[in-house]
Amino acid sequence: MIRIAAVGDLHYGAGSQDILRPSLEHLPDRADLLLLAGDLTRCGGPEEVQVLADQIRGLPIPVVTVLGNHDYQSDREDEVRRVLERAGVTVLEGDAVALDVDDVRVGIAGTKGFGGGFRGAHGSDFGEPEMKAFIGHTKMLSDGLERALATLDADLRIALLHYSPIEATLEGERLEIYPFLGSYLMAEAVDNAGADLVLHGHAHHGTEKGRTPAGIPVRNVAQPVIRHAYNVYALDARRQVLPAAAEGIS
Amino acid sequence: MSEPRADYLPEHIREKLIHDPRVAEQDLKVEVKEHRVMLGGNVATPQLHQTLTEVASELLPGYEIVNETTVVSSAEPDGEEPVS
Repeated sequence: MIRIAAVGDLHYGAGSQDILRPSLEHLPDRADLLLLAGDLTRCGGPEEVQVLADQIRGLPIPVVTVLGNHDYQSDREDEVRRVLERAGVTVLEGDAVALDVDDVRVGIAGTKGFGGGFRGAHGSDFGEPEMKAFIGHTKMLSDGLERALATLDADLRIALLHYSPIEATLEGERLEIYPFLGSYLMAEAVDNAGADLVLHGHAHHGTEKGRTPAGIPVRNVAQPVIRHAYNVYALDARRQVLPAAAEGIS
Repeated sequence: MSEPRADYLPEHIREKLIHDPRVAEQDLKVEVKEHRVMLGGNVATPQLHQTLTEVASELLPGYEIVNETTVVSSAEPDGEEPVS
């Protein structure tokens, strides 16, 4: 079993800088990897993420993250990324990393993702330039996710997102804001390429568990949803779920 | 820009709380009834809960601030979930 610790939406900033720290001491005993599903900061300040970077630097397990919308707020996302990378964190956006954990090759493909809505009610890149840019951004990132997943040579494959790929893990949020919380295009990308687990954050009032239309497990690990410093998911590499095998799983 | 009508005041306050770097929280609920402001939703820490009250008081001086936001637990998980 490979144990994946995951959390999103830590929102490090003044007054909320110790969400993870008290639990880090025991983390290496409980998990093989730590995955962060974006929104590491409150306002996208490098000084905000520096606190988190200092806390996780030196952890004896790999740490992989994507950025979230808050991490872009100050237009300093490149600096945020560099602070994390200097602390040994792998930051993904449209790419992937493969890690060897106890003879199991674990592949993680990541993207922030974006919004647009869900099947039957998704925005179109039609009309004003702003609308084309909005949906075009989601399409570009979803295409990148599919490519990154498809090229991963790994025993287990995980899609790490910030925005949600499915509606089920948004349950609890107001319906009116679903288009700002995720897009089915990311679920389609995952179902096309195949994966064993999808992790996302962003939807603070959502629900933890769901599945893509092809049956791939999805977990909303936004910290206000899981109400822990992180959750741990155990994956069996011998039971890898591929898109065809997942058809019909409810 | 003119002062917001009462009908729109909660949304203006919510927007200001999102853009105030001391709060920057997108999921707060704001209701205003007469001179009382009710704040709901989740916050990460007790300190942020307190800061939210202070910022709301700055935004609406003279209003009573009723901060009903919940501080979310960040304890270690009890176990692990087998996923398949």
